[in-house]
Amino acid sequence: MGYPHPSHPKENPVLSKHFGDPEARSYDGWVKRGGYEGLKKVLRMTPEAVVEEIKTSGLRGRGGAGFPTGLKWSLMPKADGRPHYLVCNADESEPGTFKDREIMRWTPHQLLEGCAIAAYAIGAERCYIYIRGEFTDPYKIMEKAVDEATAKGALGGNVLGSGQRIEVILHRGAGAYICGEETAMLNSIEGKRGNPRIKPPYPAQVGLFGMPTTINNVETLAAVPHIMMRGGEWYKGLSLNNPKSTGTKLISVCGHIQRPGNYEVTMGTPMRELIYDMCGGMRPGRTLKAVIPGGSSVPIMSAAEADDCLLDYEGVVAKGSMLGSAGMIVMDDTTDMVYQIWRLARFYAHESCAQCTQCREGTAWSVRILERILAGKGKQEHFQLLLDLSDNMTGKTICVLSDSCAAPIVSGIQKFRHEFEAYIQGAREPALAAV
Amino acid sequence: MTSSRVEEELVTVTIDGMSVSVPKGTTIIEAAKQAGVLVPHYCYHPSLPSPAVCRMCLVEVEKAPKLMPACVTAVAEGQVVHVESEKAKKAREGVLELLLINHPLDCPICDQAGECELQNYVFQEGRSGTRYADYAKRYSPVEDFGPDVLYVPNRCILCTRCVRFMENVAEDPILNVSERGDRAYIGISTDQLLDHPWAGNVVDLCPVGSLISKDFLHKARAWDLDKTASVCPGCTQGCNITIDTRDDIVVRLRPRPNLEVNRHFICDYGRMNYRWLNRGDRIEAPLVRDGGRHLATDWDTALDRLGQLIRGTSGSAVILASGRASTESLGLVRRMLDRVSVTAVVQVPIGEEAPLAAVPNLALRAERAPNLTGAELLGYGSDWPTGLIELASAGLVIVLDADLSQSDLALLAKAPASVVVMGTVFDEELRNAELILPITTMAEENGTYVNRDRRIQRYNQAKSQPGMARPAWWVAGEVIAGPGPSAAAPATAGQAFELLSERWPVFAGTSYDDIGFTGRVLSDSAGATGSRPASRAGVS
Amino acid sequence: MSTTAGQRGSGPGEGPHRGVGEHGSAPGGHDTETAPYERVFRGEHMARLEQLFTKYPTKQACLLPALWMVQEARGWISEPAIGEVAEVLDLTPAYVKGVVTFYTMYHTHPVGRHFIQVCTTSPCNICGAEDVMKALIRETGCGELGATSPDGRFTVMEVECLGACGFATPILIDDDFIESVTPDKVPGLLQRYK
Repeated sequence: MGYPHPSHPKENPVLSKHFGDPEARSYDGWVKRGGYEGLKKVLRMTPEAVVEEIKTSGLRGRGGAGFPTGLKWSLMPKADGRPHYLVCNADESEPGTFKDREIMRWTPHQLLEGCAIAAYAIGAERCYIYIRGEFTDPYKIMEKAVDEATAKGALGGNVLGSGQRIEVILHRGAGAYICGEETAMLNSIEGKRGNPRIKPPYPAQVGLFGMPTTINNVETLAAVPHIMMRGGEWYKGLSLNNPKSTGTKLISVCGHIQRPGNYEVTMGTPMRELIYDMCGGMRPGRTLKAVIPGGSSVPIMSAAEADDCLLDYEGVVAKGSMLGSAGMIVMDDTTDMVYQIWRLARFYAHESCAQCTQCREGTAWSVRILERILAGKGKQEHFQLLLDLSDNMTGKTICVLSDSCAAPIVSGIQKFRHEFEAYIQGAREPALAAV
Repeated sequence: MTSSRVEEELVTVTIDGMSVSVPKGTTIIEAAKQAGVLVPHYCYHPSLPSPAVCRMCLVEVEKAPKLMPACVTAVAEGQVVHVESEKAKKAREGVLELLLINHPLDCPICDQAGECELQNYVFQEGRSGTRYADYAKRYSPVEDFGPDVLYVPNRCILCTRCVRFMENVAEDPILNVSERGDRAYIGISTDQLLDHPWAGNVVDLCPVGSLISKDFLHKARAWDLDKTASVCPGCTQGCNITIDTRDDIVVRLRPRPNLEVNRHFICDYGRMNYRWLNRGDRIEAPLVRDGGRHLATDWDTALDRLGQLIRGTSGSAVILASGRASTESLGLVRRMLDRVSVTAVVQVPIGEEAPLAAVPNLALRAERAPNLTGAELLGYGSDWPTGLIELASAGLVIVLDADLSQSDLALLAKAPASVVVMGTVFDEELRNAELILPITTMAEENGTYVNRDRRIQRYNQAKSQPGMARPAWWVAGEVIAGPGPSAAAPATAGQAFELLSERWPVFAGTSYDDIGFTGRVLSDSAGATGSRPASRAGVS
Repeated sequence: MSTTAGQRGSGPGEGPHRGVGEHGSAPGGHDTETAPYERVFRGEHMARLEQLFTKYPTKQACLLPALWMVQEARGWISEPAIGEVAEVLDLTPAYVKGVVTFYTMYHTHPVGRHFIQVCTTSPCNICGAEDVMKALIRETGCGELGATSPDGRFTVMEVECLGACGFATPILIDDDFIESVTPDKVPGLLQRYK
């Protein structure tokens, strides 16, 4: 549902069905709504069968990478005698994205059930849920839910009487976007600086504490109980455009929109239906200028591109951007694109872990150049310089934070060059004081 | 130890057109070395774990979607790698540009100039001008990490070699990376010092002039230095070093890589202990006793006198030798006294042992005598008092550059023996010496030391011999050969070395060429080679 | 020794100095920095820490939770606290410090009694977040970001995306996550925090 707004008929509320319903938070409330049936069913299956069902469903990672979940689970070694770990990525820090916190604060047990099923499928007895430090309310709610679930036997040493052990431990982050990168998250849990690791080796081989580990996003795990209850085929069937994109996606719509919120749509839903029908369109008198569909780390889309874009992984790629985490930032004609690109570059420069030269220095330099432009000191050479820097920052680093900084810059210059020119040529008043 | 040949799986790759076969698991950067290609890099180091953070070593690998970091990518059969491709060069140019934006233009005042890897690669393939004009560079003041290391944050390229050395090699994580993004810098705990016995290595590891030595601060320019391959005279470990001299003065010691002995490191004790090589209070000429004083004379006269003393010795002789004497010197001085019974002892000062935690068999050894093993193989004992006891009944005493204590000197003064001093530093106390002969320190001669693992290693002359000083082996060699045209006397250290094997078979079958720059482990009589067990000289 | 280009300051937004900036700044008096250090990990806190040891296979993994415990108990993480944490977890102080300075939510200086974080990243930025930020700076009396108000009540920091973009502008006051803040709501909100 488009929480906090009433559900729109064009939505397909599966994960978000109980957003806004305080009773759904409790263990009993969740059970009343069909909760933990999926887990019960799973405990009577083999882990391999569970993995197969998830593979059939076509579920892909909902944190941004879109990697097939069933495949990810199947990469874990079988019966190797080492402890396996499940890590739930609740670090949600991608600008524009605010779906995972809703899942946690309205339906914590939905997430716990998903974690338990996933842990069972990959042979893990311990699941760490990494919650970003700023999510104080979701943390408290999850804490209460874990205690409840453990008290009721849905977690712990004898899950629902099956003899299986599944323990959930909440780990609180402390203010680092980069910890949302799966290997950086592992380092953070291990008590280290949140530096992403070199891959290979991959977490399924060498992960948390050196042991085989699977990391999944909150939304991915929340979908799991539904898939197990209603079948992989059912989930696979929820696909309006490309059969490689199945199920539903929570789109976090924010920015210049009448009804910002989380909207759950079937994969392949047209973007304009979301923006104009479900979200109520632009504010009075305003027109759409740009959309950043995937959280800020993807190329900016022009209004024209957004107009006939289909919301799934392939559909957005076809329009030159990416679905990512589906944190959709809507910008109308009042938006100063150069200013916002600068603000995003500042975000990336602030969050860089400092390992790779291109990211550490490149993001900061990009910020400085954009500041010059905004302060009325821009030059024509700055275009090529920004593009050179962006090229330098793409495809050459341990993780893609620097690529993410480059994306808005490159697409911004490509599609909104006139706004940069306005500053450079003095047609527009400087937005920043001279530096 | 006999080694069995392990069948390794070899992988063939082509690097910049050159085909090489290397063991499976070798990284591209190491395989490239075998192809004669140096992949530019900063954070990589063969003695440290690789984090692949500097991104300088990105190479183009055919069929791979992105440039690959050569320091952590293992070779694959049939791989074709391009280090000098346009893409790879552009990537490196990009890294260099970014490293320079906040780097101060300190070259004129920076010690690293001339041996700076940032300078080197920028000259080789960096941009010729800056695009970072009119922006303020990041600034932080210099920090004293103590006792010898200064940290200049402005020059730091965050390669983290220093952090990894302390954490993974010294196993004392006293350095960290603090903050994040372009605010990051190398930090140290507020109330702690970088005083680990091996900490000085971070200065060598630092590719730029960010971590620098206070001892070397503003002392000499890298291009003014003469560099000589040598062996550390600090202890029995025998770390390979380079002696840097300028205008005939030793200004710095640095480690020289030897994977079998010290990898890429030396301890701070060895590193800082070079000032004695520059002492000016040297014996400059042979001195012969004339009544109550010593008169300078020429070598012919001195050698004649020495020969006379030896022939005139009734009874036994004692050799009190320094542990820093070369194998050649110790051996030939011993042979010089062949006609009498000899008690030979070598001096072994004892200090604290300081291992380098993560490197097997590498430590600052308690025995501060670089040629202790050599001396022992030549029949010298390490129990100093044994030699002193014999003084009372000896006819001749040769002091081979030993550091005599007050009590040693007192015993010597009381001894009825004739005393011959072969020394470096002039010692006022040796008034009763018949002969005082000037000899060279290890920096002023060629020679060998045998380390505690029976590895014989060559060291080379780094500075000129003061006055009329000669190597002790030369003195002994001349006496052995006798007066007249000395065709039989050895003229070089290599020749002197060859004279040893006749009397001490352990040195047979080895020549200076065999020893080369990395040394050679001597086999024992059974033909096996092996490392030393625990320490000796009464200290367990 | 001097270096060239010795002017202080790099680009705006990111301070060049250590210990100043996002980790908080000291209030007017420095008393709290010089009072004798009292250990945190005794009694109940130590018991909680020992419970934590059962949740992770290494002591090192308890570092982030342990640092949170220190900050909850003392309001910030001082040098002696870093030493104490290092001691109870068998780590070095330098190591702990490297971790503390990486994560921006840990304060390495005392801050006001109430720590305010306001998001100004693009989704909130285009919905007026900077006006909210200005209002907060003004109404708290802090005068600028990172500074503590003269009465020691508030410190205001600008932070990155708080993950509530559809409810712009969100702010955190201590652990209270408050959504949909507008400049006019600021004075009323601040009243609640003494």
